Amino acid sequence: MGFFVRFWGVRGSIPTPGPRTRRYGGNTSCIEMRSDSTVLIFDAGTGLRELGVSLMRNPPKEGLDLHLFLSHPHWDHIQGFPFFGPAYLKNTTLTVYGSEKNENYQLLSGQMSNAYFPVAFKDLSARIVPKAFVDDEVQAGDFVVKRFEQKHPGGSAGFRVEHGGNACVYATDSELDLMLIDPNGPAKAPRTLRRLPTPLVTPMKNADLLIADAQYTDEEYPAKVGWGHARANTVVDLAIQAGVKQLALTHHDPMQSDRDVDAKVLTASERARSIGAELDVFGAREGVTLRLDRG
Amino acid sequence: MAVKRTQTIDEEVPQTMMNRLPASFKPRPRRAHQLEQTAGPGSPCKHELSADALIIGRGSAADLRIDSDDVSRTHAQLLRIDDEYTIEDLDSRNGVFLNGLQVHAAVLRDGDQLQLGDVVFTYNEGS
Repeated sequence: MGFFVRFWGVRGSIPTPGPRTRRYGGNTSCIEMRSDSTVLIFDAGTGLRELGVSLMRNPPKEGLDLHLFLSHPHWDHIQGFPFFGPAYLKNTTLTVYGSEKNENYQLLSGQMSNAYFPVAFKDLSARIVPKAFVDDEVQAGDFVVKRFEQKHPGGSAGFRVEHGGNACVYATDSELDLMLIDPNGPAKAPRTLRRLPTPLVTPMKNADLLIADAQYTDEEYPAKVGWGHARANTVVDLAIQAGVKQLALTHHDPMQSDRDVDAKVLTASERARSIGAELDVFGAREGVTLRLDRG
Repeated sequence: MAVKRTQTIDEEVPQTMMNRLPASFKPRPRRAHQLEQTAGPGSPCKHELSADALIIGRGSAADLRIDSDDVSRTHAQLLRIDDEYTIEDLDSRNGVFLNGLQVHAAVLRDGDQLQLGDVVFTYNEGS
């Protein structure tokens, strides 16, 4: 069966290469989920380039059949696309999922107009096909992908991905703190569980793995209200309310070094423990693959 | 003020490169990546990594053999890609843990701690 999740880009906002970020990685958002027969890609940040290199090392004879889902078209989620090698191969089929109008597909191609990039979208050799969700659900190979709306400037989508009885949720670029049932709760009682509305919790219910935007610490967030991102402690509380098993904090702030991310993860883990939850919290890191169907 | 450069560049460096390299440039000897075993049977010991692929396990087919019942016969494999080692779980009974997190595979970084059953390694990245 096999349900594998690999992190190719876990940085928020802008690529952040260098020694300070070497362990967690500096590439922007890109997650691969695969079974034995299907490859799904979530977001096309700069991590997508290395995923492309990996896919092209041992391509199947019949060509690559890839499924691309974009949370939203902000730059850090699409800028790897022009450097995605498989898009230049004739026998690649790349399905790009979106709404009926598929604005994501349009914006993906728009960034390759010749003012920004020397190769035009129409000159890519791959067969690139837009496909719409129907009632926020779509079958992609042997996966079922369900889409839900999130709070982010311009909007963003989260995805619940199901396969063989396992579920993984990818929920990046979501400002959870603007949706708290008690917006003043964190200031009044920082250690008390921050409750979130049921429609937000439901898509994450009992997921084996939640990969969630946790860009800020509690201390960093007050200066970033309205920027569209969550603080790690609120994400922990969301995961607890949803009964999630494992939580991967992602979309690390470009100002955060590896040590800063370590500290953020430690604080989040301690919060889960202090609330009494059996939640495994870790920091998403480039180059790590998890297997969700191990039981 | 002009700075006088000392010509210490290796004779083998192409002439076209001469003006692009700092005068102090000399290729340094490479240091191998290394697994340092800190717990489990046979520890402490160090294993220099030089092969492109090697198996860690209890069985006779393993390149790095560990005599522990907690370790599967072919527990994990190390693959070198672009001079970085990736560890991959080969469906072992007790799994592979990277800094406490169970992983299927991971590109290793300096200082990473790997646990395979009762065996613990620290990965020391070479240069």
